[in-house]
Amino acid sequence: MKLIIDESRCKGCNLCTLVCPYNIFQEGSELNSKGIVVPSLDRPGRCTNCRLSKLYQRRLCGVCQLICPDQAIHWVEEEPYEPLGVVIEF
Amino acid sequence: MPHIFCTGCGNGTVINCTLNAVVEMGWEIDDTIFISGIGCSSRAPGYVATDSLHTTHGRALAFATGVKMAKPDFNVVVFTGDGDLSAIGGNHFIHACRRNIDITVVCMNNMIYGMTGGQGSPCTPSGAFSTTTPYGASEPVFDLAELAVAAGANYVARWTTYHVKELTKAIKAGMETPGLSFIESVTQCPTSFGRRNKQRQPSDMIDHMKTHTILLSKKKRLEEAGQKVPDDYFAVGEFARRNRPVMGVKNK
Ligand SMILES: Cc1ncc(C[n+]2csc(CCOP(=O)(O)OP(=O)(O)O)c2C)c(N)n1
Ligand code: SF4
Ligand code: SF4
Ligand code: SF4
Repeated sequence: MKLIIDESRCKGCNLCTLVCPYNIFQEGSELNSKGIVVPSLDRPGRCTNCRLSKLYQRRLCGVCQLICPDQAIHWVEEEPYEPLGVVIEF
Repeated sequence: MPHIFCTGCGNGTVINCTLNAVVEMGWEIDDTIFISGIGCSSRAPGYVATDSLHTTHGRALAFATGVKMAKPDFNVVVFTGDGDLSAIGGNHFIHACRRNIDITVVCMNNMIYGMTGGQGSPCTPSGAFSTTTPYGASEPVFDLAELAVAAGANYVARWTTYHVKELTKAIKAGMETPGLSFIESVTQCPTSFGRRNKQRQPSDMIDHMKTHTILLSKKKRLEEAGQKVPDDYFAVGEFARRNRPVMGVKNK
């Protein structure tokens, strides 16, 4: 699972930056095409909700998604992890 | 979505929590109906994919009573604002609680009239500035949760838009309880309230909720011990859960 901020919905209120216990959301610095400063994500893979919810079959934290007043935060499915094609030669 | 609420307005958060509670209840779209009066908060039902009624100012509970009495099998949820519920709709509120009709009322208390530009409401805290209280509000404040308890609602709780998990749980508990369930959510309105009260950023208001709330049980304990809780703190938690006779429950 991968964390996504939907730029078409986000109004840049920065509430997500306030509540995330892992500080994954950081205040952004650049205006987007709608004139809104959307937060940036700092290594979203650190979020246990994203990484482990499938494993435990339950929702973990999820506070960012609940507090986002504009329903801009969600998770998308990712391709299953594939081992990199590193060939070890002897 | 996207909706009309200003940047950082807590109404969207309360919608999230309510819809999460609906999902947890497993309610069907076809037998769930959302009802509201007038105000920013009362725009909420328009964004929910169920049947909904956006009624006249202050009359959400009167309409909801009608719907519930005509169709007791429906799950009825009311969204309302503090002005809508306690000022123009005050009498409907008291009598809906007294009759204990089986509906769930979610009140987004932003402590002000948001939609009409920030006039004071019966919930504007003392000292707070609004367009009608330019020198600071001086009237006593309605405590909506205590009012609902006194009037007879079966389930009463208060949380804030900072306490999203607790708020969701409370709304679900309210939906499970037969009779009138009243869940008050203290909600930030950066535009009409925060801007005039040195809380211009949404995060300032959320910070205030975080630092100025006290659990009801803790407040009671402190009071019993004779200690004083500062005036600018407000209690959050469950105020009532009981079994008074109810009206309009499901026929099943
Ligand atoms: C009978 C009537 N009186 C006045 C109004 C104007 N009016 C519209 S919204 C509103 C205030 C709503 O305040 P509140 O219920 O606190 O909701 P908020 O906008 O703060 O969410 C008022 C007075 C109206 N629509 N109808
Ligand atoms: S789910 Fe929790 S930990 Fe993960 S990004 Fe959101 S707030 Fe942070
Ligand atoms: S809480 Fe939602 S709307 Fe606000 S900045 Fe974060 S993603 Fe954007
Ligand atoms: S005026 Fe206040 S309550 Fe209304 S949408 Fe804006 S922030 Fe929300």
